[in-house]
Amino acid sequence: MAQMNEELLETKYNGSVFKRLFAYVRPHAPTVAVCLVLVLIVTALELYRPILIGGAIDNYIKAPAGSVPDGLSRDELIALRASDRAGLMHTALVYTGVLLAALACQLTEVWLLQRTGQAIIYTIRQEIFDHVHTLPLRFFDINPVGRIVTRVTNDVESLNQMYTQVLVKLFSNAVLIVGYAVVMLRIDRRLALMCFAFLPVIFALTLVFRTLVRRTYRVVRTRISALNTFLSENISGMKLIQVFAREKEKTEAFRGRTKELYRAQLRELMIFAVFRPGIAFIACFALALILYRSGLRVLTGAVTFGTMYIFTNYIRSFFEPIQELAEQFSTLQNALASAEKIFTVLDEENTISEPENPAELREIRGSIEFRHVWFAYEGEDYVLRDVSFTIRPGEKVAFVGATGAGKSSILNLIGRYYDIQKGEILIDGVDIHDLPTERLRRAIGQVQQDVFIFTGDVKSNIRLLDDTISDAAIVRASAAVNADRFIERLPAGYDEPVTERGATLSAGQRQLLSFARTLAYDPRILVMDEATANIDTETEQLIQQALETLMRGRTTIMVAHRLSTVQHADCIYVMHKGRIRESGTHQELLARDGIYKKLYELQQ
Amino acid sequence: MKRKQTTSKKAAQVLGPLLRRHAAAYLLGLVTLFVVDYVNLFIPQYMGEVTDGLAANALDARGIFAVCAKIVLCGAVVLVGRFFWRYFIFGSARKIERELRDLLFAKLETLPQRYYHEHKTGDLMSYFTNDLEAVRQAIGPAVVTCFDSSVLTILVLYRMMVNVSVSLTLYTLIPMGVLAVFGYFFGEAIERRYAKMQKAFAELSDYVQESVSGERVVKAFVQEKKQAEAFRAVNDKKRRATLSVVRLDAAFVPALHFLVGLTYVVAIAVGGWYTMIGDMSLGDFVAFNMYIGSLVWPMLALGDSITLISQGIAGLGRLHEIMDERSEIVDDPQPDDVTHLTGQITIRNMSFAYQKGLPDALHGVDVEIAPGETLAVMGRTGAGKTTLVNLLCRVYDVTGGSIRFDGHDIRKLPLRVLHENIACVPQDNFLFSDTLAGNIAFGRPGATREQIEQAARDADIHDNIMDFPEGYDTMVGERGVTLSGGQKQRASIARALLKDSPILILDDSLSAVDTDTEETILENLKRVRRGKTTILIAHRVSTVQNADHVLVLDEGRVVEYGGHDELLAKENGVFATMWKKQQLEAQLLLED
Repeated sequence: MAQMNEELLETKYNGSVFKRLFAYVRPHAPTVAVCLVLVLIVTALELYRPILIGGAIDNYIKAPAGSVPDGLSRDELIALRASDRAGLMHTALVYTGVLLAALACQLTEVWLLQRTGQAIIYTIRQEIFDHVHTLPLRFFDINPVGRIVTRVTNDVESLNQMYTQVLVKLFSNAVLIVGYAVVMLRIDRRLALMCFAFLPVIFALTLVFRTLVRRTYRVVRTRISALNTFLSENISGMKLIQVFAREKEKTEAFRGRTKELYRAQLRELMIFAVFRPGIAFIACFALALILYRSGLRVLTGAVTFGTMYIFTNYIRSFFEPIQELAEQFSTLQNALASAEKIFTVLDEENTISEPENPAELREIRGSIEFRHVWFAYEGEDYVLRDVSFTIRPGEKVAFVGATGAGKSSILNLIGRYYDIQKGEILIDGVDIHDLPTERLRRAIGQVQQDVFIFTGDVKSNIRLLDDTISDAAIVRASAAVNADRFIERLPAGYDEPVTERGATLSAGQRQLLSFARTLAYDPRILVMDEATANIDTETEQLIQQALETLMRGRTTIMVAHRLSTVQHADCIYVMHKGRIRESGTHQELLARDGIYKKLYELQQ
Repeated sequence: MKRKQTTSKKAAQVLGPLLRRHAAAYLLGLVTLFVVDYVNLFIPQYMGEVTDGLAANALDARGIFAVCAKIVLCGAVVLVGRFFWRYFIFGSARKIERELRDLLFAKLETLPQRYYHEHKTGDLMSYFTNDLEAVRQAIGPAVVTCFDSSVLTILVLYRMMVNVSVSLTLYTLIPMGVLAVFGYFFGEAIERRYAKMQKAFAELSDYVQESVSGERVVKAFVQEKKQAEAFRAVNDKKRRATLSVVRLDAAFVPALHFLVGLTYVVAIAVGGWYTMIGDMSLGDFVAFNMYIGSLVWPMLALGDSITLISQGIAGLGRLHEIMDERSEIVDDPQPDDVTHLTGQITIRNMSFAYQKGLPDALHGVDVEIAPGETLAVMGRTGAGKTTLVNLLCRVYDVTGGSIRFDGHDIRKLPLRVLHENIACVPQDNFLFSDTLAGNIAFGRPGATREQIEQAARDADIHDNIMDFPEGYDTMVGERGVTLSGGQKQRASIARALLKDSPILILDDSLSAVDTDTEETILENLKRVRRGKTTILIAHRVSTVQNADHVLVLDEGRVVEYGGHDELLAKENGVFATMWKKQQLEAQLLLED
């Protein structure tokens, strides 16, 4: 199983990633199609606006040569132009209509698209969340929580922009460019071609700019992350710097890095300072040229004032879509990088496979057998070597041994959190590979050393998310494990809010709460990693009593660090370096004068 | 309001001197910006001139060319101007950002460990990233937009009124006014909804964080499907909250286009009529239409720049919190004139509490160390061993009693002298992302390769280092090799040994090495530390076999203190019992 790669993947327009991203759009195809049509309409309306004004200039505002005699008074002019005025008002009205239509189309389009985008984001997020929980513990061992959280939160979020803005913008800008071209050609071919002559220049410049910016941006990014690494490292190691009196040297080193970053940022700044005004200058030059050429042709009467207006207006907006296109490509690239990270997680496979033909087990009685089990978390580094034992239903056994002897691994294997390399593990005579993991884990109650508390209240921490456990059952379970006393003393009792980091509960209380949780789920097999936390003697006694209740009638396997707690076990296994070295009752083992005896003496 | 004033005042204290230093560049930048805005506005005017000239038949080909040339000239001036104001203003902002960053780091180096216990690394980092960025945005882009949009609005309006028509300008101002009011209310509403969305996103993050952290419980109680179901609600809440923002946000641009479009309607209806009846020329009509286009941007940008500036002030306020922080571990105003320590240490009735109100972490400790002696300090976790090390290095100041080196109170010694005369191997064995050679030479930058290798040999890590393909030039840390706990410990020991100080402190520094290695290192220590003071903090009895004296601490108090053999001979003594138990453990380990 690969560790998720944190490095920003330089996405090479990976076709398969794109295809997968597109698959999420498919269910929304009709909506997207409507949006695209609306975009077309908006673009057409956008193009129509200067034409309307240009038409008004030619038809109404500018009087035809010779139609208006010189030297008329103001009132005479008003009277003479009354019919033109009506035409002008008509244009104003149509213009308003165009605006309203564009507004309506745009609102509908954006709104539909955002809803679709959010629906897709919702789906992907749910998918990755669901998937993460199906992955084996191994995945969580090698991937830090923060990274997994980022995948579900920020990485998914960055896809949003791509779905709701970039894709449509790409489309609408492409349409806009074509639209401008077509309209210009239809009005005046020669002027249009002159405008087009600027396109390759703008395009080439944009390309050069993009390459330059990408290169410097990468340098800036690397330097920022180098600086941040330096910072976080030196903040962590500040004590050492101070104790070794190395402040001056570190300041110098830091300055060196900030200087490098500054230089890179300045280079980036210069590139932008040349490019943006540069494009604006070209646009200005184009404007002057169009004005000049069309002006000449107005002189000869080949072109009207209206056409001149339309062209000077178009030339100003003609270059915008091209620049926008360039920007959208980088957003797209970021989104693709996030998408790749997300798909990497989605492609992680659950190595703890479900059985194809699950074994029929009506009721789990709780016998456990290990047959020549070999197990390593990684490679050939075996933590269990040829371990065999049998536990009958209802028996209580304990595993003891020095740290790293392999005791806790046995507990992990029974619930099949990891798969073993060699041998067999049987529950009621059935290989656990043949049992559905859900069924298997339901039958096993785990009492862990460090109790995890979910944000919520006491009740929800006992019931977890299983609504079939009634309030009464919660109270019963709490009472059985002595947890009711402290719970009832809390201001809100069972409804007292608790959080994971909150200090409301002491270590002992957390332990009792977890007992109640386990008892509420009524498992057949109990698996316990004995708590080593410092707990006051009073709570300690409560915990001991609670354990008795918990173990009653259940097969119990415990890993003990203190031998005092295991003396009453039916059988004690002594683990040493991955093997079972001794087994028997407390008295038998003491009599044998082996490892157990030494361990025992050590703790006296 | 008062609070706001004090933050801006404080902010000015940090930023003031920096801004003053770059005042000339800023001024130049703003002047250039003004020139750019001013010149830019000639372009619509020239376009109007062409139109009018043509309409009046007053312009020939050369005339048109002359006007168009003027437009290009304007464009060229604007091009140069735009480059320079970016260079002056954005460049200065970057420079100030860098200076602030350097100041901030230098400040951090003076802050005591207490501060680092109270502030997480991540929080400190955010000063350098988020807050610094907010400040830069405020003194760079925000300054430009704020100035630019004000100037532009005034200039455009002035030109519209003077060059074209006062009444037409006033008419077109109506939709613009609506736009401003609309923008204001819109901003308010979106901010509220945005906050709600951020909250929903935070909830979602928290939920995922918790769910993944509690993975073991989720799996043990087979809650995977239930978790997914519960997540559906959180996920949906986020979706709805986002939609409520987007609904508004998405409406903004179309609505804006609409309002701007309305000004064009006014321009057509009113301006067109004025032109017909000769109150206005056709050229003015064209120029007017272009002016409207240049008014839209400033209207929008002004609001944005105000937000940026207030964020920048808030960021500066936070930066100031650090700059205001004062360390209590500082040199005495009249320090004793000492440059070298002999290794003689006297601790008298010394007590220390991490905080007022907390019980003493160390209480009534009396220890006397002669130069060249080795003292072992033992005790359970939490006995106060590391606290003692921290006090000897003056990471903290004692709260009662005294520590003296050669008779000088620790607080009267210059900090640099103290730290140069003590070499310490701290418990966490922190190594920097540097080469192994660089790490070992950390305390003695001028060390030769031979000296470094000798220290590594003494710490018994030379052979390990030579096993790496790049030997001493192997990088450690994130971008290099990962060292095992034992290797880190030994590298850390080598670093301290190379410093060759009169006093060496090893804080439980042999816990991760096996017994044979421990034996070797202890032998080497005996040799190289002859005549120099060594303090060994240890868990294992085997570590302290060479000590002259042993100090056993428990819950901050001295339980046993005396000669090594003397304590070992003590019947039922704490040290003697520990020794016996560990003998047993050693036997157990030998089993296989």
